[in-house]
Amino acid sequence: MIFLRRQLPLLITLITGLLFAGQYYVPHPASEQMLTSATKWLQIIGGFALILGVTSLFHQHAVKIKRQEAGWGYSFVLYAGMLGTIAAGLWADGKESVDGAMTAFGWVYNFMMVPLQGTMFAILAFFIASAAYRSFRARSREAAVLLVAAVIVMMGRVPLGEYLIPLSGDVSSWILNVLNSSVRRAILIGVSLGAIALSFKIIFGVERSYLGGGKE
Amino acid sequence: MSFSERMLKIDRRIIFLMIGLCTLLPLLYPVGLPIKISSEVRGVYDHIESLPERSVFLLSIDFDPASKPELHPQAIALLRHAFRKNLRVIAMTLWVSGTGMADQLVTQVAQELGKEYGKDYAFLGWSPGGQAVIINMGQNLYSAFPSDYSGKPTKDLPILDGVRNLKDVTYMVSLGAGRPGVEEWYVFGKDKYKFEMGGGCTGVMAPGLYPLLRSGQINGLIGGLRGAAEYESLIGQKGKAVAGMDAQSATHVAIIVLVIMCNLFYFSLRRASQTQGQVG
Repeated sequence: MIFLRRQLPLLITLITGLLFAGQYYVPHPASEQMLTSATKWLQIIGGFALILGVTSLFHQHAVKIKRQEAGWGYSFVLYAGMLGTIAAGLWADGKESVDGAMTAFGWVYNFMMVPLQGTMFAILAFFIASAAYRSFRARSREAAVLLVAAVIVMMGRVPLGEYLIPLSGDVSSWILNVLNSSVRRAILIGVSLGAIALSFKIIFGVERSYLGGGKE
Repeated sequence: MSFSERMLKIDRRIIFLMIGLCTLLPLLYPVGLPIKISSEVRGVYDHIESLPERSVFLLSIDFDPASKPELHPQAIALLRHAFRKNLRVIAMTLWVSGTGMADQLVTQVAQELGKEYGKDYAFLGWSPGGQAVIINMGQNLYSAFPSDYSGKPTKDLPILDGVRNLKDVTYMVSLGAGRPGVEEWYVFGKDKYKFEMGGGCTGVMAPGLYPLLRSGQINGLIGGLRGAAEYESLIGQKGKAVAGMDAQSATHVAIIVLVIMCNLFYFSLRRASQTQGQVG
């Protein structure tokens, strides 16, 4: 059993890890065919992951409703929304419109999902303004630098800002292209090196936390 | 309680009202300030402008309705430009929740410019797998999308004649609101399959994509509503983005004024407490 639980997954990780790391550098048709097949598998697994996610969500909220935990009413709304949408989607064969006429699924999408998601995102503008007023203070030198940079970029990114302070557009562009790019690139390189190191640790079995902590 | 203290603890509903008015009034009474075109947006425009007719243009609409206000105008402007240039437009999405919206917008712009489905454009829809779809398209487009969004076999679409995989795509733009988006298209697509690529994203994401832009990994970037407004100005067909720029201008200035005010009150309060400490 230890072989199935520990050694076999480690072996699969080692072989596939090395194989696909090497595959990138081998443009032979057989190597390309292997990549095509593997990515097709990934797509299929991705589809199953969706089912797994929905099942897990259903299970979690079913428990909440059964135990009548705090906020179980929201779980009920989630259930009703999901089951209703799935039913409408299956009924309409996943189509939002048929011959120009909107289906029930299309109605749910256009008149519920689109405005709800748009509203949630739009509300952010109000909260950001309120949060900025309450917390964006020059308490230290670093905070002051951040504040000045933010004000310049905000001015430079809108026509009114460029109209009031004509230089703000160019300064904002310089901040984004030079300061921001260099810092982002440094972070990106650091993260990438870390990802490479972690990948090696996983491939060679040094990092095993992904196997879980079950009893052996 | 001093005036500064009272102002710092101002009811947030007043701030909400101020932002609401700054958004609403410019939409009702537009000013129409001139929009300066940035080199980032011009990069995408110039590249599409330089493409010969019937070149293959792939547009990946990688966002959902949450990002519609910023990215929808970008997609419309890009599609209008591509259709006017008589490019072969292949649209798709990596975001399942954006599929219906993407289908509607592609159909709307195609109908507006009298384009024929299958011959001038196609919408492939969504396929599961995120970045795996990109790699799979790079290997074999028909394996990643055996059929289009309406269920027609992709092999039967005349628009895809001579297109086997991503290597046959002349230009690609990903309009991304997150992951998978512009970065994934570069890492898993352009880097391996060598096609030219541009990007579009929400305003908040744009600074994160500047390293790709500056290194030439993407040849242009349309950032947020401002980017969309610039693109609308470039194609000479002003739409929702240009209309929204006045509202965005007023909101930005309102937030700047709020931040300056809060700092003035903060410093006045700090100064007062320091003076009191010295006296005490």
